Amino acid sequence: MITTIAGHELRLLVRQRTFLAMLGVLGVMTALAGVLGWSSHRTIVQVYDQAVILLASQGKPAPPNPFTLKPSLSLLSNMVVYIPLIGALLALIVGHHALADDQTGGVGRLVFSRPLDRRIYVAGKVAAATAVLGAVMVASFAISAAALLIVNRRIGTGDLSRLAGFFIVSWLYLVVFALIGMVAVIINRRNSLGLLTATGAWLVITFIVPQFTSGLTPSASLNPTTAPASTSQAFFRATARVRPYSIAEQYKEASAHILATSQSTESVWHTALRISPIVGAVLVLTIALVVLIDRHDYSRSATNE
Amino acid sequence: MNESSVAGRHSVAGRHSAAGRHRVLTVAAHEYRAAVRNRLLVLLAGILIVVTATSVYIGSAGYAGQLADYNTYRDAATASGLDRIAPSPLAPLSLLQGAMEYLEIIGAVIAIALGYLSVSRERANRTLALLRSRPLTGGEHALGSLLGAMAVFATLIAATAITAVLGVGIIGNDWINGSQSLQLFLAYSAALIYMSSFYALGAIATARTTIATNGLMIALGIWLIVVLVLPQIGDTLDADNQIPGGLFGALGLGHDGEVTILTHFTTYERIRTWTEELSLAKHFERFAFAMTDVKARYRPFDLPWLLNTTRNDIGWLLGYAALLTVGIRRTYRTQPPTTQGANQ
Repeated sequence: MITTIAGHELRLLVRQRTFLAMLGVLGVMTALAGVLGWSSHRTIVQVYDQAVILLASQGKPAPPNPFTLKPSLSLLSNMVVYIPLIGALLALIVGHHALADDQTGGVGRLVFSRPLDRRIYVAGKVAAATAVLGAVMVASFAISAAALLIVNRRIGTGDLSRLAGFFIVSWLYLVVFALIGMVAVIINRRNSLGLLTATGAWLVITFIVPQFTSGLTPSASLNPTTAPASTSQAFFRATARVRPYSIAEQYKEASAHILATSQSTESVWHTALRISPIVGAVLVLTIALVVLIDRHDYSRSATNE
Repeated sequence: MNESSVAGRHSVAGRHSAAGRHRVLTVAAHEYRAAVRNRLLVLLAGILIVVTATSVYIGSAGYAGQLADYNTYRDAATASGLDRIAPSPLAPLSLLQGAMEYLEIIGAVIAIALGYLSVSRERANRTLALLRSRPLTGGEHALGSLLGAMAVFATLIAATAITAVLGVGIIGNDWINGSQSLQLFLAYSAALIYMSSFYALGAIATARTTIATNGLMIALGIWLIVVLVLPQIGDTLDADNQIPGGLFGALGLGHDGEVTILTHFTTYERIRTWTEELSLAKHFERFAFAMTDVKARYRPFDLPWLLNTTRNDIGWLLGYAALLTVGIRRTYRTQPPTTQGANQ
């Protein structure tokens, strides 16, 4: 039954072109990250060549090669920004669509007139959303690998495994937002308010919590890696304790360590610890969704619409 | 044509214009009341005020100490009879950087949400057809809605401005003076134009789609590109941002060397500038940052110089606002009074 519900949801997402739109947008953004990386590579080469000429004319020695300062996967560092911005918003929409149509179209009322366990219904919907997000991440992985191959002219197994690790963590992060999209639909009587509530939650997680825990202004949150504020201020001494639970910051930090673009190093165990609040959020939201759908009155919501 | 018939025509035209103004103001008052009664909008506005207060608190906490250090130095220099005392490098308005950035990001989302709710409310309540059965033209409806939304934004901006100024004064121990107040007023006026543009975008996108939620998604997509992606691309393409700590610094080049080398990258820099020019958010940010002394290079200059320097950004802001105002008037005029998808 789970596969039937998931299959139905997948067909709907394909027919409504939501899947295609998500694939297209994230595919283009991944390609854009690659183009920006290529542009960065080219700029560094040209600036270096000009610097060598300029310093030679001044009788100074050539500077060190700047590529020694640039990690091989750094050309994809913009993806660490695009996933929480664009990917998360698209994931909200996928989650929103998964439940919204059943409420407005009266499908929910019809489905639950049958002897169907609501947990199975939730499992099917979540499976479809995670499958869609997984497929998009696989496509982004392929585009990223191709971009690396074109720009760096080679790609080792180490880089490929790091890239795969990054997209697995990104997939997990996007699942959180798909679940937020689903929960927001259920707790609001109108679909439109559900989408706005989910967008508000995204704003809080992406921009507001990092301001409280690390003093990151919104523009700082748009940078792939930003150092948190010093804990010398009493305010941050208190709020920094919540920083390990700020999933947007932990996602960025974990991604930077997985891609080896971070300026600091840490053990695999520490990186795994950074991912744990994201896993925790998935579990909490899934449980919340099961409880909410179990108590949801589909007949009332259908008429209220 | 005698004088009495001309006067009569003027009188009829005057009555029509007064009645039109009355209808516009009625729609504006309705828009304002509906926004204030919407719990989600009130929640988003509350979030905006709280984060503004937090960002100002974070900036001001360290500022009070720096100001005290400067005042100690100035008093000691005055007491020792020094003729030339270094001016204060501190700029209290720069503490509002976070507040401006939040208006740029969250303010725009609130504006889109209000534009979306304005259209979807009339559809869902099936009151659009009722409104059109009255002597209310599409243009008056659009203008009234826009004015009502601007009143909502003005209230919201005033609340954040009062929060910010009190934060700087009480926590940072530095109260802004008359000329700084004028600069702040101009920055917040730009914020009003900026948010109104996004309101028009939200309303246009929603009114032009059969399913209102799709319109919201389109508006949010445009917001994402204009506010977050384009400025981020512009920053990423900056030659000096290619390496942590700065590419030119890593190559051992000073400012002169950087300027010399950048003369070979004029096309590249032009593309980067054009990418940023496309972003309405970037123009608002540049103007607001110039008015609030966020960029140190602007601090020594007076208001006329700042306005002249940012005239390009002012032009883009006004241009976008004018375009979207024309767009919303045209959309409301052509919007069918009964639409499918009213339930969305």
